[in-house]
Parts: sequence; structure tokens; C-alpha cells
Amino acid sequence: MNSLVSARGVSKHFGKVCAVDNVSFDIEKGRIMGLIGPNGAGKTTLLKAVLGLTECDGELSVLGLDPFRQRKELMQNICFIADVAVLPRWIRVSQLLDFVETTHPNFSRDKAEALLAKTKVNTRRDSRVRELSKGMVTQLHLAIIAAIDARLLVLDEPTLGLDIIFRKEFYANLLSDYFDEERTILVTTHQVEEIENILTDIMFINEGRIILDASMDSLGEDYVELLALGEKADQARAIGPIAERDVFGKKIMLFEKPDRARLAQLGELHTPSVADLFVAKVKGAAA
Amino acid sequence: MIGHQLALMKREIWEHRSIYVTPIAIAVVVSLVSLAGMVTVSAFDKEVNIALFGATNIAGDAERQAALTVFFLGTSWVFLFALAILTTFYSLDSLYAERKDKSILFWRSLPITDAETVISKLLTAVFVLPLFTVAAIIVTHLVNLVITTGWVIVKGGNAAHLVWGSVTLFDNWAAALIVTVASAIWMSPFIGWFLFVSAFTKRSPLLMAFMPLIIVPIIEWIFFRSKIFASAVFGRGEVIPLFREMDIEHFFDEERMQVNEDLVSLLAHIDVGKFLLSPSVWVGVVVCGILVTAAIYVRRYRDES
Repeated sequence: MNSLVSARGVSKHFGKVCAVDNVSFDIEKGRIMGLIGPNGAGKTTLLKAVLGLTECDGELSVLGLDPFRQRKELMQNICFIADVAVLPRWIRVSQLLDFVETTHPNFSRDKAEALLAKTKVNTRRDSRVRELSKGMVTQLHLAIIAAIDARLLVLDEPTLGLDIIFRKEFYANLLSDYFDEERTILVTTHQVEEIENILTDIMFINEGRIILDASMDSLGEDYVELLALGEKADQARAIGPIAERDVFGKKIMLFEKPDRARLAQLGELHTPSVADLFVAKVKGAAA
Repeated sequence: MIGHQLALMKREIWEHRSIYVTPIAIAVVVSLVSLAGMVTVSAFDKEVNIALFGATNIAGDAERQAALTVFFLGTSWVFLFALAILTTFYSLDSLYAERKDKSILFWRSLPITDAETVISKLLTAVFVLPLFTVAAIIVTHLVNLVITTGWVIVKGGNAAHLVWGSVTLFDNWAAALIVTVASAIWMSPFIGWFLFVSAFTKRSPLLMAFMPLIIVPIIEWIFFRSKIFASAVFGRGEVIPLFREMDIEHFFDEERMQVNEDLVSLLAHIDVGKFLLSPSVWVGVVVCGILVTAAIYVRRYRDES
């Protein structure tokens, strides 16, 4: 079995509220999976289940382990950044490195030092985390994570609250310093347009259910956007788009499993952006 | 496991600087007060015969030793009092602050179990804090003896004999160590309770920890007219089964208010066997264990979302 994460009928209830509803999926080695969903869709709950931070119903296996019951073993091979703000504010940079070095068997101090040397944190080894800017804290956290030889990296809104420059840099560094075919990344974010070009797979979640689970390569084949005008728009509408919107008088329609030859006669075809596809899917699921 | 514990306890000291700042601050204050005392007394020394250090007319060696021991005791209780307050605040903060600032999500991303983490906090409260306090007591003791030496030399006395030859250093220090650590073990049910509240409460750990200690006895009295809970809880603060029988009743009587040979050795008053064989000590340890286990479970199973 090549699946790093395997979920079969996973559910999580908080009282009567069902945060994750009978979800099944696989994440394979060497992939970068984006988990996209609106607020309250169950993203964080699902990640917590994967990380063994919360108990859930159904079958969930991460690196072949039961994440909730075998948490300590799991944490030797998983890293996660839950939020940019979780590094303890009182700790000094050097203390943080010392602590991780003594407690994490797969942490390479040399690699962390080399990664930090490229950042602004380099000259701030004696500073406390609270004295660093939010961007520097993220650089520090990523350097620590990247220096851990882990098989799965889980990122939950890792760039929330950062400015655009740090966000871009974060993902660039993630690819250059962390990712290789032995490693796997699971990431959630609101800013889907910033990561869609690094993802290999994508999963949409809404109201606790997975409404799309596909590889990025297949999206271009399975979905197409049509730009149509006037009469041709009416003809296109008859084919049954899954979504339609207006841009400067033009109709933009999104088709699933399209008949490309036929649609091409009706207007311009484009590959839809993940954001547009997401909106269409969420609205479609709600309808 | 041991490597983790040492790293975790070191982390506690990094985070809670009051663990060492408080004893150092008290050491400085006590030493200054002691110095001020010397200066003040030296101004009156013809009239005020305190019969202590360097006074050549003192009755004998035993009395001088006892006087130094009493002096040592007088400074040590300040540290023990501060330790009690420090331990309370440390324990209440230890599992609460990490949730408040969300750093618990970082700590839990490392391969360390919740049990290891909570136990490191317990060990810090029961052993690390007392050890820092004992170290500060010893340093203060030495500083005070140096100050005293200066005073004795100024008065023309033989400090090597009158001060250093008279003080039972190791007896006093061993006693300080035993009393401090034993007190922490004796009070460990409170530490366990504070750790549990710290892991459990959503706000104001101090209030949440002390409110039940006040409300439960009142409720018990209203409904049952009994004081079992109150005596179990507050009774612990009254006497620790560590000392040999002392005539406490008459200790401060006028005719007995003098230093005598009874006070030369502090260790002579301590009975470790009595402490270790006392059922109430072990009941306390068990209660502490139950509460700490509960704290581990809360940290493990609580969903912070």
C-alpha cells in the first residue's frame, strides 16, 4: 500500500454538530495535497484527526499508525504547523533549537542552522520569539520543520496574517527546503490562488463532506470554462454548466466532463482557476 | 525518557524565570537587612548586649552555635514562605499558559507524550523549585556569615573561631534540604490539585483553585455539620510529621526564651523515618498522583478547537 494517509468513513461529531461526515480519501507518498474549504467546513477538525489531536469514528490510518492511540510514534515522522502564532513567545531562538534537538530524534541541527543562516532570524539567536516579527517567526518555524526528517508535513493556514512577500517566500522555501519525492505535504489555506501552482492534488471540503478529490492534472481535463456571448450563451446553458457568472456582459460557464469540440464552437475555452471551481462546487453542493 | 525529562525541566526554568529570580531577590533582601541590622546594632553595642556573634562575653561555644543556628533559621523561613507562594503560582500557570498562548499546539507537534510533559511540571514543582530555594538559602547563609565576619573583625574579635568555628554549616544545610523537599512532598496534593486546575480551567486558575477550597467546607458544614474536608485540606498546613516531639507549648515562655544546646543541631530535631512511615504522607502522595493523572488526561483528550 502506497497510501500515507488512508481514511475510510471518518466522522467527527461535537454534540449534535457533525464537523466531519463520513469522509474517505487517500494521500499518497510524494504528493502535495491541498485541502480547501470555507470556514467551518471541517478542515481543521480533519487535520486534527490526522494529527491524532482529536478522536474520531471510522478508520483512519496515518503512516500505518492509529494517529490518536500511537501519537508519540506518529509525531516522530510527522511535522505540523498549526498556525503561525503557536511558537512559545517567551522562548529564545537558541533555546528553541536546543529543545527540539534534544527531544526530536529526526531533527538535524546543522540543517536548521543552515536554513536560518539564509533568513533575518540569523542574527537574532538570543532574541525571544515575541521580539521577532510575524514573518521571522514563520521563517523560524519553517526552518525547524524543514530540518526534521519527517515523512508527512501538515500545514493548517500556515501563512495566515503574513504579508504577500512572506507568503510567497514561505511556499518557495517549502518547495526548495522541504519537499522531495520521499515527503508528503497536506496543506489547508484560504488563499488557494497562492498555492494552486504547487499542489499536485486537491480536495474540497464543505459542511464536513468531501465534494471534490482529484489530481491537479485531471482538473484541466475534467473541467472547462467557456466564455460565451448572446445566443451562444443560451445554447451553452442548455448543455448544463455547473456554474455560471457574468463578467462585463460576457457569460462564463463552468462545465464538468465537457464535450470540448462542441463547446469550442460556442466560445473561448479556458482551464478554470481552482478558486472559481471551488466556488462553483460549494454552491452546487448547497443547491 | 530521562533525556526528555531533563530537557523539559530545563524548559520550565527558561519559561518561568521566577523559579530562580525569586530566591535570588530574597537572598539579596535578606542579606541587606542583615547588613543593616549589624550596622544598627553596632551603634548601640555598648548598651545592647545581644550576646551573639563576636561578643566575647558569651556564655560558651554551644550557646554561640545555637545562636547562629537560630539566626540561620530566622532567615530560612522567609525562603520557605516565598517557596510556597512561588510553587502555587508556578503550578497554576504551568498547564494554563501554554493553552492561553496556543503554544500547546507547538509542544504537541513534538514526539513527547502528554504524560512526560505533565510529569516534568510536577517534578519541577516538587524538586526543582525547592532545590533552587535551598541553593539560595545556602548562599544567603554564606553571605551573612561573611558580613558577620566583617563585623566581628571590626570589633576586634577572632572571626575564625567565633563565627566559622561556631557555625554548624553542613548540619544546617542538610536540614534545609530535608525540610524543603519534605515540605514539597507533604504539600504535593495541593501541587497536584493546582496542576489539574491549570490543565482544566478556561480562565482564572487562581480563583478556580481556591474557590472550591472555601466553598466545599461551607457546603459541607451547612448540610452535614461536619468539617472533614476542611480538616483534611487545611489540617495539612498545620503540622508536618517530620520533627521529633518538641515542647512547642513552652517554647516561647519567658524563662525558656534563650538559646541553648537543644538548638545546636537542626538535624537532631528531624526524623526522616517518622516522615516516611507516616500514612498521611503517602495518602497525600496518592491524592497527588490521582490529580496529576487527571491533568494528563485533560491535556491528552481535550479538544482545543
